[in-house]
Amino acid sequence: MNFLARSVRAVRPVRLVRSYATEAAATGLRLTFAVPHQTIYKDASVAQVNIAAVSGDMGILASHVPSIEQLRPGVIEVLEGASSKKFFVSGGFATMNPDSSLNINAIEAFPVEDFSAETIRHNLAEAQRIATSGATEEEKLAAKIEVEVLESLQAAVNAK
Amino acid sequence: MFATRAQPVASVLSAGVQTRNMATLREIQLRLNSIKNIGKITKSMKMIASTKVSKAQRAMETARSYGATSAAVYKNANTVPLETESNIWVVSSSDRGLCGGIHSSVAKATRKLIAEDTAPVAGVVVLGDKAKNQMTRSNRGDIKLSFNQIGKAIPTFAEASAAADTILTSDVKFDTATIIYNKFQSAIAYEATPIKNYSIEAFKASENFTAYELDEEVLENYNEFLFANNLYWALVEGHASEMSAKRNAMENATKNAGEMVDRLTMTYNRTRQAAITSELVDIITGASAL
Repeated sequence: MNFLARSVRAVRPVRLVRSYATEAAATGLRLTFAVPHQTIYKDASVAQVNIAAVSGDMGILASHVPSIEQLRPGVIEVLEGASSKKFFVSGGFATMNPDSSLNINAIEAFPVEDFSAETIRHNLAEAQRIATSGATEEEKLAAKIEVEVLESLQAAVNAK
Repeated sequence: MFATRAQPVASVLSAGVQTRNMATLREIQLRLNSIKNIGKITKSMKMIASTKVSKAQRAMETARSYGATSAAVYKNANTVPLETESNIWVVSSSDRGLCGGIHSSVAKATRKLIAEDTAPVAGVVVLGDKAKNQMTRSNRGDIKLSFNQIGKAIPTFAEASAAADTILTSDVKFDTATIIYNKFQSAIAYEATPIKNYSIEAFKASENFTAYELDEEVLENYNEFLFANNLYWALVEGHASEMSAKRNAMENATKNAGEMVDRLTMTYNRTRQAAITSELVDIITGASAL
């Protein structure tokens, strides 16, 4: 029994923050992660996906309850085996289907490593300026959304 | 003896092109030049379309998987439209011509589906001036919205979502939407295909709906998102089909122009030789009279 416990542990990365539910069912979680100009994952077999939904952060494993979640600007983390990849998404939807397939449609998604902190800081200052002293209501609203996205992006980039 | 044979030769040849009795060399030459120029233009248009096809096809593959991914929910739930729901028809085409039967293909399919469908028609939305021209001929009263400036470049998601937004926030009331676009089947074949967007009520009434757990407002946002996604998919794939059809049309045009040039060159040479022969005859009869 000891041997079994050790071999199961070897598959998953050791994390301090969250505790996992029981290991995935035989079929495994199949992820399709698409943006309009690129298909990042197509029916790929992954272990777990952490998404930032409007209703809260959640980790999706295989055999998760089917649901449709709206994504807020934030980080999507894909854990396959021992490695994990983080993508920052501007928004979209994640749907978990009964056949253990997770579909994520995002408008834009890029690996967190690709962002430069300098540009984020600069754009954030600019957006905050327009949000407070913009010409029209529409401009201010658009700038407020931009501020929200950029603040989330800044947190994500600084967190790693 | 020479004189009697020169005339019939010229007219037998021109029977294949046009009946021309006294076509002068000048006229044939002008026609020859203009057809050669047309051939050059169609050849360059074919080259341009070929380069655009490969790019458009790559974008299409991505857009297809993106659209299919978001529509998977309704497929899994086996959603069907409810009996009394009104349907809006979105005809996706473009502004540009010289691309074969692209525009008439979507228009014909839309007309056929409208005639077959039992659901009340909420209206017709046309994307692209050529589609508008086609649909005005048959369903002029139904056209509610039309978009242009479509087809110049590969459609972006921003354009599709702007169009979707305009349709959703307009005065047109509808429950379900059907988008007709040209599905790219191969480099030489395309077919007009519909994509259905279901209403929230239809989704709630579908078979496997209870399998999904979700919030009410998420569902509304998701439906709008799905509409934009499907529109994007239809626009990009329609663009790829159009580029491929344009390439084929220009290739045929170039080939035809080449054939016409060959035939006319033959006619030109025969006419030229006939003219020389008759001059010779004049000279010889003149000389033999001495």
